[in-house]
Amino acid sequence: MPVDRAEIVIIGGGVSGLSSAYFLAKAGKDVVVVEKGMVGGEASGRNGGMISERTDEPALIPLAVESVRLWATLDDELGFPTEFIHQGRIQVAVSEEEMGDIFTERDHAQRHGISVEQLDPSQISELIPGISGRTLGGLFFANGGHANPQRAVQAFAWAFQDLGGRLYQNTAVTGINVKDDKVTSVETTVGDIAADFVVAAAGPQTALLADMVGVHVPVAPARVEIIATAPLDPLFDIALVGNGLYGRQAARGNLLFGGGAHEWIDVDLTSDPAKPNTPLIRNIARRLAELLPAVADVPVIRSWAGIVEQAPDYMPIIDIPDSPSNYIIVTASAHGFGIAPATGKVVSDLVLHGKSDIDISGLTLNRFSDLTPDWRQNRGWIPAHH
Amino acid sequence: MESRPLVVVGAGVSGTAAAIEAAKAGVPVTLIDENPVPTSMAGLNVPLFFGQRFNNVLRDRALMMERVAATNEAQYEAISEAEEAGVDIQLGTCVWGAFRNSQNSRLLDGPQIGLADHERSWMMKYDRLIVATGSRDLSFGFAGCDLAGAMGANGAHSLMSRYQALSAQRMVILGGGLLGLKTAKMALDNGIDVAAIVDIAPSMRGEKTLATLLQSKATELYTSHTVKQAVGNNGDIQSVVLVEIDDNLEPIAGTEKVITADTVCLAIGLVPNIEILSLLDCDLTFKSELGGYVPTHDDRMRTSVYGVFVAGDAAGFHEAMVHNPDIARNQGRIAGIAAAESLGATTKGFPPLKGEMSEGQRGPTQVHTIWKQWLHSLANAAGQDTFACQCEEITRSEIIGLEPPRYLEWESEQMNRRNLQTQLKDNPVNPNQVKRLTRAGTGTCQGRNCREQVALLLAEESNTDIADVPLSTYRPPLRPLPLNVIWPDDESEDVRNEWPKWFSPNNKVLG
Repeated sequence: MPVDRAEIVIIGGGVSGLSSAYFLAKAGKDVVVVEKGMVGGEASGRNGGMISERTDEPALIPLAVESVRLWATLDDELGFPTEFIHQGRIQVAVSEEEMGDIFTERDHAQRHGISVEQLDPSQISELIPGISGRTLGGLFFANGGHANPQRAVQAFAWAFQDLGGRLYQNTAVTGINVKDDKVTSVETTVGDIAADFVVAAAGPQTALLADMVGVHVPVAPARVEIIATAPLDPLFDIALVGNGLYGRQAARGNLLFGGGAHEWIDVDLTSDPAKPNTPLIRNIARRLAELLPAVADVPVIRSWAGIVEQAPDYMPIIDIPDSPSNYIIVTASAHGFGIAPATGKVVSDLVLHGKSDIDISGLTLNRFSDLTPDWRQNRGWIPAHH
Repeated sequence: MESRPLVVVGAGVSGTAAAIEAAKAGVPVTLIDENPVPTSMAGLNVPLFFGQRFNNVLRDRALMMERVAATNEAQYEAISEAEEAGVDIQLGTCVWGAFRNSQNSRLLDGPQIGLADHERSWMMKYDRLIVATGSRDLSFGFAGCDLAGAMGANGAHSLMSRYQALSAQRMVILGGGLLGLKTAKMALDNGIDVAAIVDIAPSMRGEKTLATLLQSKATELYTSHTVKQAVGNNGDIQSVVLVEIDDNLEPIAGTEKVITADTVCLAIGLVPNIEILSLLDCDLTFKSELGGYVPTHDDRMRTSVYGVFVAGDAAGFHEAMVHNPDIARNQGRIAGIAAAESLGATTKGFPPLKGEMSEGQRGPTQVHTIWKQWLHSLANAAGQDTFACQCEEITRSEIIGLEPPRYLEWESEQMNRRNLQTQLKDNPVNPNQVKRLTRAGTGTCQGRNCREQVALLLAEESNTDIADVPLSTYRPPLRPLPLNVIWPDDESEDVRNEWPKWFSPNNKVLG
């Protein structure tokens, strides 16, 4: 028997779930967010904080463009700092191969009407002091920037609570009850919560939750790594991509950069095994020193790893399955942080109106209808034997 | 990559004993110690709380190598014995990482550690690892604690014995337990004046005879006192203001004493260095009588992780170990023999237990209660606006207020309504969350100097037993290594060519 009820139960206290919760609560809905650990404890609090208009991913552009617009309003909207810095994103090439990507990206951006400026090496040096003299060229995207994931997730959570939303942390989902093609309640470690609508925004665990209601969500979890240096005086406030890395200089001055090989893993709904770094952090350090040779002697003081989920086409899934028909699936394929504000709006629209003005037609689940159940094995997206 | 049957980390009493025993059993042993550290590291209080109280001789790396190897006579004999037994000793080499395959990381070619000297880093595989990394100083913030001359007992001990490079004239020691009294004696033996020993308790806990001896050398013993402030000039401590405290640890007005001194040495407690064990995901349990989180181990010093052993202060520190090095030595011998036997070597068996003692003889059982009282006395005497996290300059009151860092210059009604107490309604106390929001513990020392203080503060504010405050996470690198040191100078062409782009359909599949 349900011990609690809400109009909407959102599973997952990451940035997508909390953004959705915020916009639904703002629309006057009674919302409960269930989070197995603490808010932003997984990928939402462990990512690089990059925000852009995703010129490389046409299906994502409407969501990403709207998100950048929303990011610029969030500090005031939520009442808490997100550290959003709207100084754009720069992508530099230090090899012929990367230069090829630059041309492709430029063409993409122009085709989709996204503001982009091609840079020569001297322009790059002006924007990014200390950058390698080996840059061949680059692109500057004025719309975009970066924010602090941990602060932004907490900002959404607090603002949600300020609107009367209920946030249950350290609460795991153990089952989902369905009757007549509708979810009726969510079973959790603190009891059943009856709901009119359920949103599953649980990162890689979204697939396991979907299994409970008979829906196959094809995503594979992967572990990725980031390093942090000691703080430096301000060098640049533009999000920086190049030499196989992505990253930023945080408001405090630390350089935070990630990249390199990911490792496919598996997750479950209850355990929380360590997310270790590997000696890959040395290679990331090397690439960062190559990219910014002027600061090659800054100490690395920390590193961390996070787990992201990937759909076969590396794109988010935001959709309501045919059955159960009051169940929204949100999984982001590692784009989640940047697009979170618009994701929240879309989810809110879907719950309230059954559709959204933001075009998510490229993010539906049925694009994988031809996928065979053994797709992970076929692609090699499976964990090594341990 | 180099691969060794047995690596011992830490060439102190226990690590050296472990290496000798294993070598005697015919096992090739690599004994690694980070001393001498580069001056740049020492300046960052790595690995110990040196408080800028080292002199220029520390820059002479060759001389420091000699001294580290040779200073302490007993240690010198032990290291000579180790060399004879075929121990490969690598001084000036730190362990900054430890990696093994686990649920979420499966592609390593066996368990391995990351090593670095002052110029470069490299990886080393091991079959067995003995972690004998010792302990570090408990550090508490007080007004002026960011001045040069505020240091820790282990830091002082290391600068006096290993480096012979302690640059202090006149010292005030905080902590009247055995650690404080022994530190005072050592300072006097090294020609440093000890102006005062201060303890918050009504009597010194350490040995009476030692206390009496110190008094005869013009050292004042201040019981029921705490530090109000260290006063400096040009960034250096010049004097220390003490104040008497009442039974509630509150300062008594008008009882201030100004002591001329250039050094304040914190000798309140030591904390086991468990970083490597934490990275390897060894089971850790909180034992106040042993200084906090310590690895679980059996009577052969085996941790919960196969092939990983522990010995000495890293396995848990109690004050009797200051007095009796046989305790750590014996643990080291056991770990060395157990590691050798697990590699198939034949040994002469385990030594008879020596120096082990019952719980009551070890020292205080509720160490953290003493620490908490110290912290109270310091806060009462100087207020909550002193730094808890010195790297990031976060005060105790900013932690209690869960305030965004000052550089964000954030001000809002909504934020004003949030603080640690409101956060505790949502979540049990969690140092990692507090770290994320306040940035306490995110500086260059990665919490080495503040994590106990923050944990005690959180326990206090949340009415949680300190044993139930989770351990704030350790991440590599365990030492602040420049990009151009931690990087691989032998990166292969394959790694360079196969470096993937961010989840792109063009990527090669890398596992």
